[in-house]
Amino acid sequence: MRDTFSNSLVSLAKKDPKVLLLTGDHGATVFDNFRRECPSQYINAGIAEQNMVGLAAGLARSGFIPIVYGLSSFIPIRVVEQIKLDVAHEQLPVIFIGDGAGFVYSHLGISHQSMEDIACTRSIPNLSVFSPADRFELLHCFMSAYQEKLPVYLRLGKADRGDIHESPLEIKLGQLIQVRMAKKSKYSFIATGSMVTTAINVAEKLNIDINVWSAPYIKPIDSLMVQKICCKSQAIVVFEEHSRYGGLGSLVAEIASSSYPTKILQIAVNDCFSNKCGTYEYLLREHGLDFASVYKKINSFLSDL
Amino acid sequence: MAYAGSTVHIACAFSIIELVSVLYKNYLRYPDGDPFNKNRDYFILSKGHGVMAQYACLRELEWLSDDDFLNYFSDGSDLSGLSDARTPGIEVTSGSLGHGFSIGVGLAMGAKLNKTNQKTYVIVGDGEINEGPIWEGALFASQHELENFMVIVDENGFQAMGKTEDILNLGSIQSKFESFGFEAITIDGHDEIAIDNAISGLWKINNNKPKALIAKTIKGKGVSFMENNNSWHYSRLTQENYEQGMQENYEQEALSIDESSK
Repeated sequence: MRDTFSNSLVSLAKKDPKVLLLTGDHGATVFDNFRRECPSQYINAGIAEQNMVGLAAGLARSGFIPIVYGLSSFIPIRVVEQIKLDVAHEQLPVIFIGDGAGFVYSHLGISHQSMEDIACTRSIPNLSVFSPADRFELLHCFMSAYQEKLPVYLRLGKADRGDIHESPLEIKLGQLIQVRMAKKSKYSFIATGSMVTTAINVAEKLNIDINVWSAPYIKPIDSLMVQKICCKSQAIVVFEEHSRYGGLGSLVAEIASSSYPTKILQIAVNDCFSNKCGTYEYLLREHGLDFASVYKKINSFLSDL
Repeated sequence: MAYAGSTVHIACAFSIIELVSVLYKNYLRYPDGDPFNKNRDYFILSKGHGVMAQYACLRELEWLSDDDFLNYFSDGSDLSGLSDARTPGIEVTSGSLGHGFSIGVGLAMGAKLNKTNQKTYVIVGDGEINEGPIWEGALFASQHELENFMVIVDENGFQAMGKTEDILNLGSIQSKFESFGFEAITIDGHDEIAIDNAISGLWKINNNKPKALIAKTIKGKGVSFMENNNSWHYSRLTQENYEQGMQENYEQEALSIDESSK
């Protein structure tokens, strides 16, 4: 997934000289290729994220397409106001990449963990929010962001969970993708980012008919499609490595409540910071997002229905 | 306008009247008189609470109408109390301080990359430069040799709740910008000739440095009861003090006409 990101940046920048990559002194080896291939389109704006976003707004106004890269704790969280006023209000074509979302930087502590980025960005008018699960979704999201020429926040979470899809996607912006098909299913799982794999694995282990959907597009989302899923499901489980407030779970509940009220279980981060330090897997366990905890929760939810 | 809208921030607009006026009269280039022209110079009022000073110029340019002025702040009107980029001639949505500087740096960098000769002017308040992003942007402008960028600091010595020196003492603003790699000069911000000379002088210096013009000003300049009286950051005009202010204005105007005809 990271290679795809790195390569698609380079090929896009080579094709379009107006594409500029801005980083707040983050990115390490991801940008080695870019710096070698497109040095004049690479700007390290320093450890100064607020200025970087204003700078991107100014560059976008003078005809450039800035791609602003940072860790999701900083881009967008540290600069929410700059994104809102300088970019979203003016509908400028700036792509924000928030890397390492969720618990990726588990060992570094809470400053580098972000559970609130979708909630914060979703509520900003004119700003789209994308959350790809694998390299094919990433490519689709990235090219949509470029083609739309609108402000986009692209959330990159745990990147090494393998492919979900087998080939490039042919979907429209906003659509969900069915990644597990069941014939007579009463239940649906909807997941985004790193949790799509977990959703598929839990469905397999439960060994009952469950449709599983991946949602790379959080905003805009094809709400008719979500309504149809709600209509056909007796219960829905929504998975995300994000706060239970304001993320995909909230979004599905908002749509369901106004169309086909359906029982929804949220697999998400509770309203709390991480307590301890440890591996990514350790923190997933602490927050009840590891496979075993999730399986247990869903099993009891479905059997109580 | 301020009276019609019963608005605050009048004194904040009066401290920059001459600065804004000299920029519009002598420097800002808008090809075909079009505020959206791609080759225009950029003027950003980062201290968006002084926007009435800019509205006055936009009215002179006929990008705003008398109706905009008379209906200021009425329900459903277009002009707000802090600058909004949807207004023709206004580049950024300000009011949250410390944003316009960085956007200006981006515009200046864009002009440099595009190899145009567009210039970018950003007016910031002295209180506003409490904001950290100003200094992030200053480092960047200097690092990237944005010699087409000029910041103008409205140093009126006050911010919303008191004197700048009592809140976060700025010391010498000129030497601060110099130490950040700017070519800087300090002048009387109400002397139009001094402003004009300083701006043209700064542009003539070819050393790849961004420019800083520090304008010593008086908050509420031109109205006796407002000058250096910080309550006018938030006070609204009554009929009585509006008439008194206007009367002073007429007298000053008459005096200056008298003097120039001598």
